[in-house]
Amino acid sequence: MKRFKIIFTVLGIMFISQSVSAQKNTFKLDIDYNYSLPVGGFKSDIVNDNSPRGFMGSLMYAFSDKISAGLGFGFQDYYQKYPRALYPLSKTQEVSAVLTNSIQTTPVLLKGEYFPLTGTYLKPYVSLGAGANIIDFNQYLGEFGSSQMNTKFLAQGGLGLMIPFKKFSASGFNIGANYNYAPYNENGYRDLSNLNFQAGVTINLK
Amino acid sequence: MKRHLLMLLGLAGMSLAYTGCTKDPINNLSTDESRIYITDHDSSINFSNYKTFSISDSVAVIDNGNVEKQSDAVDSAYINAVTKYMEQEGYMLVSKEQNPDVGVDVNRIISTSTGVISYGDYWSDYDSYWDPYYWGYPDYGYYLPYAYSVYQIKEGAISIDMLDLKNAAQNKKINVIWTGLIRGEGLFDATVADSGVQALFEQSPYLKTN
Repeated sequence: MKRFKIIFTVLGIMFISQSVSAQKNTFKLDIDYNYSLPVGGFKSDIVNDNSPRGFMGSLMYAFSDKISAGLGFGFQDYYQKYPRALYPLSKTQEVSAVLTNSIQTTPVLLKGEYFPLTGTYLKPYVSLGAGANIIDFNQYLGEFGSSQMNTKFLAQGGLGLMIPFKKFSASGFNIGANYNYAPYNENGYRDLSNLNFQAGVTINLK
Repeated sequence: MKRHLLMLLGLAGMSLAYTGCTKDPINNLSTDESRIYITDHDSSINFSNYKTFSISDSVAVIDNGNVEKQSDAVDSAYINAVTKYMEQEGYMLVSKEQNPDVGVDVNRIISTSTGVISYGDYWSDYDSYWDPYYWGYPDYGYYLPYAYSVYQIKEGAISIDMLDLKNAAQNKKINVIWTGLIRGEGLFDATVADSGVQALFEQSPYLKTN
């Protein structure tokens, strides 16, 4: 149910923004497939495997050829099943279990992009963003799970390349990479930081 | 037109990622992986002081608070497995008339509700599940000296308890000195009894008496 609420919220924001963009003609929508690599404590303590299950997107307003700003969003599913091991539950109590971590993150960011080259066919850019990271952390001992939902801070820095469909087109293919600094600090875990690679399309909303 | 098509495809992809691309932890577990083995013990006990044991010849089936004793093939498999691993730990099997140091019983706990049941709840009616008279101490109650965590029970569990009969008269109660609990899929199957009980004993190396 909470997942559907998030979907409707994100889609609602997008469609409202789309109607605004139709009037302004200066919005662009970016939709990318996202491949995520946990790093730091996220990789060593929670999920070691990379995640091929996710997407990122943004709805940006172009103030000029060089600067855009708007809303970034995304979704990523992380999963890791650890072999059976013994875990202490208290001083005298122990459990032998296969431990599974299943984490879904939904970042919602205020984001800016800078395009240093304006007269070229290929358009490299750098991006910065900061906002909320909605985290659904599920941990299972065998088939017995517990769930915790938190909203934490997230900061993002990235770079990418926009490849126009044709010369002078504001729409095109997009490839990029970014780093998410994602502190967590719950249940002894420190962070959910990750490195991401994206590929998708940028659509100029005229 | 092309732009709208791209947007539609992108939105459809995002919706799919939300609803379809999450890896389900339960569906990615085998039956064996679904099981957990929990043990707890009285840390003040030196198990090397206990040499003999007796085990109940039937299993208490605790079904939503109602109890009955039974002994089918599954129950026998669990009783045989517990006997085997107790002997491997150095305890000698005797009849309960021979004043065993330790009494061992096996229970099936079944909950058909989706509520929360704790070890504490299970133990609150223990006298009715295992009458102290069974072990030859009709005037004494049972006592659990350590705290239990609370777990949700979805289907069922097997629990095994070690009772201190050696010091029951001195303590004027029957202390529970060790418990093991198996939970998960496919427990009530004679073919998994041995490996399940083995797991409980392997994670309790302090049980050795020799």
